[in-house]
Order: sequence, then structure tokens, then C-alpha cells
Amino acid sequence: MPVSSSPVEPEELTRLLIHTGRGDQHAFAELYQRTSSKLFGVCLRMLRERSEAEEVLQETYMTVWRRAASFDASKASAITWLVTLARNKAIDRLRQHREEQLDDPLRLEETADVQPTPAADAEISQERQRLQRCLDELESPQRAAVREAFFTGATYNELATRCKVPLGTMKSWIRRSLLQLRTCLER
Amino acid sequence: MNTPADHRHDDLRYAEYVLGVLDADARAAVEREIQVNPQAAAAVALWQRHLTPLADDVGDMAPAPYVWARIRDSLQLAAPATPQPRTSLWDNLRLWRWLGIGASMVAAACVAVMFALPRLATTPSVVNAGYMAATITQDNGVTGWTATMDLQHARMIVVPATPTAFVQGRAPELWLIPPGEKPISLGVIARDKPTTIALRTQLLTRLSAQALLAVSVEPVGGSPTGQPTGPVMAKGAITGA
Repeated sequence: MPVSSSPVEPEELTRLLIHTGRGDQHAFAELYQRTSSKLFGVCLRMLRERSEAEEVLQETYMTVWRRAASFDASKASAITWLVTLARNKAIDRLRQHREEQLDDPLRLEETADVQPTPAADAEISQERQRLQRCLDELESPQRAAVREAFFTGATYNELATRCKVPLGTMKSWIRRSLLQLRTCLER
Repeated sequence: MNTPADHRHDDLRYAEYVLGVLDADARAAVEREIQVNPQAAAAVALWQRHLTPLADDVGDMAPAPYVWARIRDSLQLAAPATPQPRTSLWDNLRLWRWLGIGASMVAAACVAVMFALPRLATTPSVVNAGYMAATITQDNGVTGWTATMDLQHARMIVVPATPTAFVQGRAPELWLIPPGEKPISLGVIARDKPTTIALRTQLLTRLSAQALLAVSVEPVGGSPTGQPTGPVMAKGAITGA
């Protein structure tokens, strides 16, 4: 399920999330059914451990139930709101007790399981395509660092260790990339 | 007070927050700003719209059915399980526990019991095509688990025949091994009670009389690599019903 802009789904998810915010349990159950695989994929990618990803998924949907009333469809799509919530919970979890996992040689290889250019996928959203065009304007190591950061929720320190560059270099890669992305995405 | 340079600096910090590179303290600081400063909230929301589409690149992964059950229980919802279960023989855990008792019980017998049920027998063609079974046997010949696959409802129930002891931090993980393919994880299963597993389409298409089910000893959260990392403790061939 794309994060945005497939023809039918967004309106349906928005409706389900709004109804969830009104305490509609059936809407909540259906929302879970439609979105939990996406969110679990994201959590598992970040946390790497199934049991931890399951816990974070559970926390995420419990928060969805309690906070759905604060969802504002004018500010974000439903799936963006949900993925953001899941990522934030996963990052909080990582910060709590993963700071020690710095130099894991498997890490960089693991990023290969995420498609770098999923352009062949017919489901790909317009937003994703636009983001890809802007990512393509970045230098290759910077682009890889941004993707690694997004998918793993790693801190600057962890990213520097994994990519074997000094901390200052990693910070400037990411910051310059973010500024370049902003310019590109907002034009 | 706030110069344009401050704004640029703040906006970069919000971008870093959304990307996920800030440490715990810096994250907490941004989260406080979001609460009290609408401009900060709007800037963060914009970055979320910009960057979150990257999540499209992560493959979907169906969570185990018990996650939803835990959510429902924790929130004390009356909402139905998703999808809405029919109350059926399948859902009768007592029967499954009973079927799991005794190492000599073969999975085919489970299927025979299901056939014997009048309600299911009303649609014999579906039933005949609808189930597969496997007896997952340990090296010493003792049945470890029996697995029955309900193809129509895309689920498998795995029942321990003899509760097996595991050292602390280890758990049994079930694998489907189609002929000529690498093992595909079906997830960690319980060692002392039945486990129900939802079968994705890509799994359903790989269930055949040539495929094997195997159980390996893995860390409690499941194999970290996606492939078996511990010893295979039990295996069995799938048979059509």
C-alpha cells in the first residue's frame, strides 16, 4: 500500500481513521486490517526483531485508537499519519536500548532488501516518484545515507559508524541532502 | 528575535527529527516545540509529507493474529477479531488441544475428524480440496507438532503433541520448505499450546505434497536473518487431505 495517492485507498483510510476517532470499533478493526501489514513492515525493518516490532505495532495502534480524534486530514494523509506514529514509536524504542548496537557488519547488507528504485511498481505514488526524482539529484553516498537513516532510525553516530565516515562528514551529508531535498520538493 | 538564519536552523532540526537521526534528548526537545508552537508543528508536518513516502519502499509484512487480539484486549474493545471469525470447529481450541494430545496422533487423523463433522460435510468438494496436513516429527521419532492447513481460509493451526523444553531465550520457529527453495519462515510457534498462522497467498501457492515443514531452534524473537540459524529439531512432509 503506497503511503499516498493510489486512486481509491486514501479516502477510504481517511474515512476509517476519522470514524476511529469517533470511537467506531468496526472502523478501527478495518483500519488495522488494511494498514497493519504496512506498519509492521516498517517496524520490523527498523527494529529487526519480530517480538519487538510486534510490541511497537501494538503500542502504535493503541495510540491510534486514543489519538485518532486529533488526526487532521488537511495536514497529512491517513497513511502518512499512521506510518509517522509507528516510526516515532520505533525510534523511541531504538533510543531506549539500542544505542550499543553500533558496529554491526550485517547492517549495510540488510539495506539491500529495500528496493533502491521501485519505479517498476505500478502502485508507486506520485509523492514517492517526486521524492525519488529529488533523491536522484543527490550524490550516491548521501542518498544512501538518507535512505539508511529513514529505514533504520539510526542516529548520526550510528550512521557514521556504519558508513565508516567521520561524524562531521555524516552530519554534513545528511544536512546538505535535507536542504537540497527541500529545495527540490518545494519547487 | 528570530532571524531567518534561526528559521533555517530550526527547519533543518525538524527535518532531522522526521528523518530520525536525532538522539533522544534532541527528539524530546522537538516534540515539546510541536506541542507549544504551531509553526514548529506545521514545519514538522510538512517534512513528514515530504519524507514518509519513502516508506512505500518497505515491503508489507502481515503481523501475527495475536497482535490484534492483544490490542483488543488491552483497549477492552468489544470489536470483532479481524477478519470476523465464524465460530467453527477450527476455532475450537479445546478440540485442538485434545487432538494435540498423544505423540501417536497423526495430522491426518485431525483432518478425518474434520471430515466427520456434518456441517463441513455439506460442502464436500471444498473440504476435500481445502485441507492439507503434516506431522512434524523429531529425530527420535516422537511427534513434535501436527499442522493442519485450511486452504479456503488461508490459515494453518500447529498443535504441539508433546510440550518441548527450550533453554531460556530460545523458541521453536516453523519453516515451510518448498522443493528446491530456501526455507520460508512461518513465524515462532508456541511450544505448549496451538498456534494459528495466517497464510499469505505466496505461501498458499507453495504448499504441496512435495513441501516440508520444519521446526528450528531460534532466538525468542525469531531468526534474525530470515533463515534458520539454529538446529532443525523436527520436520515432516505435507500431505493432501
